[in-house]
Amino acid sequence: MDILYFLIPLGLLLLGLAVWAFFWAVGSGQFDDLDTPAMRVVMDDDSHPADAPDGSHGSDERQAPDR
Amino acid sequence: MATLDGCFHCALPIPANCDFTVEIDGKPKPVCCPGCKAVAELIRDAGMTRYYTLRDTPTPGLGRPDATADEWQVFDRDDMLEAFAEREGDRASASIFAGGMYCAACSWLIETTLTKTPGILSADVNPVTHRVLVTWRPGEIGLGGVLGVLSGLGYKPQPLAPDADARPELVEQRAALKRLLVASIGMMQVMMFAVGLYSGQFQGIDENMQRFLRFVSLFVTTPVVFYSARPFFAGAMRGVRARRPGMDLPVSIAIGGAYLASVYSTFTGGAEVWFDSVTMFVFFLTLGRFLEMRARHRSVDRSAALSSLMPNTVTRIDADETRVVPASQLVAGDRVRVRPGEAIPADGVIESGTTAIDESVLTGESQAQLKRPGDAIVAGSVNLDGVIEMRVRHTGVDTTLGTIGRLSERARYARPAFVQLSDKIASYFVVAILILAAGVAGAWYLVDAERAFVVTLSVLVVTCPCALALATPAAFAAAGSRLSELHLLITNGNAVEALSRATHVVFDKTGTLTRGMPSVLRVTLFDTGLDETRARNIAAALETASTHPIARAFSKPSAALAVSEPKVVVGEGVEGIVEGRHWRLGSPAFVAADAPDDTEIDDGATRVFLGTDGRLAARFDIGDELRPDARHALNELKRIGLDLALLSGDREPAVKRVAAALDIRDARARCSPKDKLEAIHALQSAGATVVMVGDGINDAPVLAGADASIAPSHAALLAQTSADILMLGESLEPLVTAFRAARQTMRIVRQNMAWAIGYNLSAVPLAAAGLVPPWAAAIGMSASSLIVVLNALRLSRFEAPPRNDRASSAGRIASRPGRSREPLVR
Repeated sequence: MDILYFLIPLGLLLLGLAVWAFFWAVGSGQFDDLDTPAMRVVMDDDSHPADAPDGSHGSDERQAPDR
Repeated sequence: MATLDGCFHCALPIPANCDFTVEIDGKPKPVCCPGCKAVAELIRDAGMTRYYTLRDTPTPGLGRPDATADEWQVFDRDDMLEAFAEREGDRASASIFAGGMYCAACSWLIETTLTKTPGILSADVNPVTHRVLVTWRPGEIGLGGVLGVLSGLGYKPQPLAPDADARPELVEQRAALKRLLVASIGMMQVMMFAVGLYSGQFQGIDENMQRFLRFVSLFVTTPVVFYSARPFFAGAMRGVRARRPGMDLPVSIAIGGAYLASVYSTFTGGAEVWFDSVTMFVFFLTLGRFLEMRARHRSVDRSAALSSLMPNTVTRIDADETRVVPASQLVAGDRVRVRPGEAIPADGVIESGTTAIDESVLTGESQAQLKRPGDAIVAGSVNLDGVIEMRVRHTGVDTTLGTIGRLSERARYARPAFVQLSDKIASYFVVAILILAAGVAGAWYLVDAERAFVVTLSVLVVTCPCALALATPAAFAAAGSRLSELHLLITNGNAVEALSRATHVVFDKTGTLTRGMPSVLRVTLFDTGLDETRARNIAAALETASTHPIARAFSKPSAALAVSEPKVVVGEGVEGIVEGRHWRLGSPAFVAADAPDDTEIDDGATRVFLGTDGRLAARFDIGDELRPDARHALNELKRIGLDLALLSGDREPAVKRVAAALDIRDARARCSPKDKLEAIHALQSAGATVVMVGDGINDAPVLAGADASIAPSHAALLAQTSADILMLGESLEPLVTAFRAARQTMRIVRQNMAWAIGYNLSAVPLAAAGLVPPWAAAIGMSASSLIVVLNALRLSRFEAPPRNDRASSAGRIASRPGRSREPLVR
């Protein structure tokens, strides 16, 4: 078990590195927005209107009465 | 989520006979106006219809575009770039406040649309502060272009001066995140070492290894205690200095005591260390504080709230030329021209021109005031129908509007001395523990001086008010997350307790119980053969020329008629030629020479007459219509034992009409913000706990002065900043839910308290006798905390009271025969 005397300090060193990296990330503003990134994964642009499958876009150009 | 009875884009009810649709994903969706149609089509054509499925339920009316796109062109000028943007080589960046953002889907929509716009290099949206940091190439697109894109999406952009961009929320959030991370990582590491130590207790452990693990735990725990837990120590110090020890004191004593005991144990080779308990405790509390902070940050930015009422630009009259300048550049003494429909940019005096001014946001008075040269006008009110020139007296925070902001801040600060239940109990508890610990120390000193210190510390650790400290925050956090699903956003946790004790609910009439916009209540036809639909259409055509708020009552015609030679006569009405005949709409004297005196009982409605060739043809009664579910919601409130009152700044007849329709006995009209605040203080000193529901700027101080306050989400931004709870959506139903949920929450808090105190009381004697083995103390402490948390989680299954469906529509004002169709809002 003597290896623990080496492994635990090594673990703590890595831990220190991780904390330092996180502090740097927070300081550079990477965690300022906690809401949007969660959505960005599921939100992707739809297909562009040009390659819409049925070409239905643009058929609705029946305009509303002018004001 | 986007399935609504109202407009597909902005969720406002769709007016009768209105037929605008947008085709989304091959299906036609109804929208309420050409503006919403344009925005929805823009979003569709940019390939971002996903916005509609991912956004939260929209607040009705939000995102509805303004018609004035030309306003942004002035921002293309170089001096505007100078004032609002920072230049760096060939790129410029500016911070823009995007009014009307309400969920994460909004920030996605803004970012994606802006970055797709040619010339814009990057756009970062901060949903917490509603600010967009845009970087663009001035050669390719102007600041005005950027603002135009935002405005085109239905948001209300405001460029912010670079120095206005201090963001305390961000600083606070960053610090809290760091603390949370240190606590969580520390907790995990110490837990690992603790597993080794605990198994060592049972299986035997090499003495050197035990000491080593203890020292490592000490090494990891130290930053958790001195960095993550620092706010608790600071809070405890403040509490002690103010002679009102709160929850922070027992928490600090528990953390500090357990830590010091463990350190002592580590250096002297004692029986037990409690580093795992310390870190876990700090982590849970820090997490609780973090969630609380996030809720608080959802409330609205005060500086942006104030400026949202001011125009972005003003027309300043220098010596002999006029210049359009940013409103922030105005100083006292400037001469400014204000056109109809524009907001007054500063406090001042009219120098020339006569106009009607809508001061409803400031006074609650729903009728426009006629102002002449020499009259004082205030910033934030709206110029309705005449061109005026004014001399600026006060700007920015010195205006009446700024004063109201400060007043509400102070009222909030000077809130009735409010001690949380848990704090009250905690104070006694702390004193009891300290006396007990001293007693134990003395007793053990006489019996066995060697063990006195260790036993005393173990008493302090066993009584660690872990469960007690978690009892309230856990319940509030669970209630908060459930309530946001039920359309209630809590920005101040303390409000829950006040809500549960509430005895009186005070309403502000304008916009809270009513829709807050004029609509035609009744049409009376005179004997000219004109039918009602046609009368409405003619009136609508004439009003297209007008910026008067009354015009909005007519804004939804069933068929658009063309009007020629429209003319606005200040203070009288409008006239124009529709289908070959000359029509007038306005006061009776303006419309017809032989107009009858208006001798009918004044019921608060504004009367507008339509006539042609000097003869009256129709009379429109225009007023603020009750919300469809107001009656049902108010009856529910009465049923759960609350007294209702109405304090309005509006005129007597209008207030009486609403009070009678809703059966509110205590109704007062013409209340100034000061009157309202005094009325609330009077109730409070009589022992009542007052909850205020209001939405106007003039309500801000009152909202802040009440024990708890609720604002609908369409309320003025300033009112939102002062409110403890925001009610999302158009319905008043969440109001009832709020009271029920608050009572349920406090019931759970009391259960938790009883459990935590019971556990501690039974554990203390054993610990004092030196009988509690270390592992039993650890299990007991964790189990009691776990039970508290699980009990709190029951709140996340809280159900809203069943809706009394369409029956609530009976709550409308009964006498309205002329109304053809009633759009029901959900």
